[in-house]
Amino acid sequence: MNSEAASSTEMAPVLVKTRAFQVADLSVLGSVLLAALGHLMIKAGLNGAANAAAMHASIVERLVVYFSQPYVLLGLTIYGFGTAMWIFAVSKRDISYVFPITALNYVLVTLGGKFLFAEVIPLKRWVGVAVVIIGVALMQSAGRKGSR
Amino acid sequence: MTATIALWISIFLNGLAQVLLKKGVGHSNDQGGAPASWWLSLLKNVWVWAWGLSFVAATALWLLALSRLDISYAFPLLSTSFILVALLSRLLLGEFISWKRWIAILVICLGVILIAAK
Repeated sequence: MNSEAASSTEMAPVLVKTRAFQVADLSVLGSVLLAALGHLMIKAGLNGAANAAAMHASIVERLVVYFSQPYVLLGLTIYGFGTAMWIFAVSKRDISYVFPITALNYVLVTLGGKFLFAEVIPLKRWVGVAVVIIGVALMQSAGRKGSR
Repeated sequence: MTATIALWISIFLNGLAQVLLKKGVGHSNDQGGAPASWWLSLLKNVWVWAWGLSFVAATALWLLALSRLDISYAFPLLSTSFILVALLSRLLLGEFISWKRWIAILVICLGVILIAAK
């Protein structure tokens, strides 16, 4: 793998650069997507367990009910994979560049609330969704290279 | 009062955690993925542990604060962590933040406030 990478660097440095861009930047977006997906699954699990949990008085018993929900466990697992992807992304980019991009999480959770849980989203929140997307686009165009 | 203090400490720790993580994983070469040995080395990395502890403490304080405060009050304030991380990354890691990046950060903050505020 190393020798292959070295030879392709000699032959087509631009291509290697493009691939490196994809790996690191897709992992930023992937971690945000997995975190949002994890949150939505946990939410689905908690919604489903609300009645069962209400039958228990103690907090510990309620927590046992919540953590035994398949969707909650699946959501936590997905969230864990998202965190690993995030660690990888942070190792490749400035933190002042990647961290604000995680605001896309608010966008995805808003969309998930609308389409999965049929929540009513006020106009102001849609404006916010658009503004966050514009901000992330500005971040991309400002360039990921900043640190020396 | 105490809930508000817990909220701000949570926001600060949340931002600090990201900078600690960056300190721990460094600025690796752009090329290639991450081998298993790299992932294992993170377990011995004191900065990565500091990130984990800060993250757990921030989450606990966040839940504590949310049990007392209105979510529409707490969530917009979370957007200040984007500015905090930028400031801390500059002070502690020496990251250079261009004025274009600052504008992007502020626009994102505005968007988050619009999404989260009542």
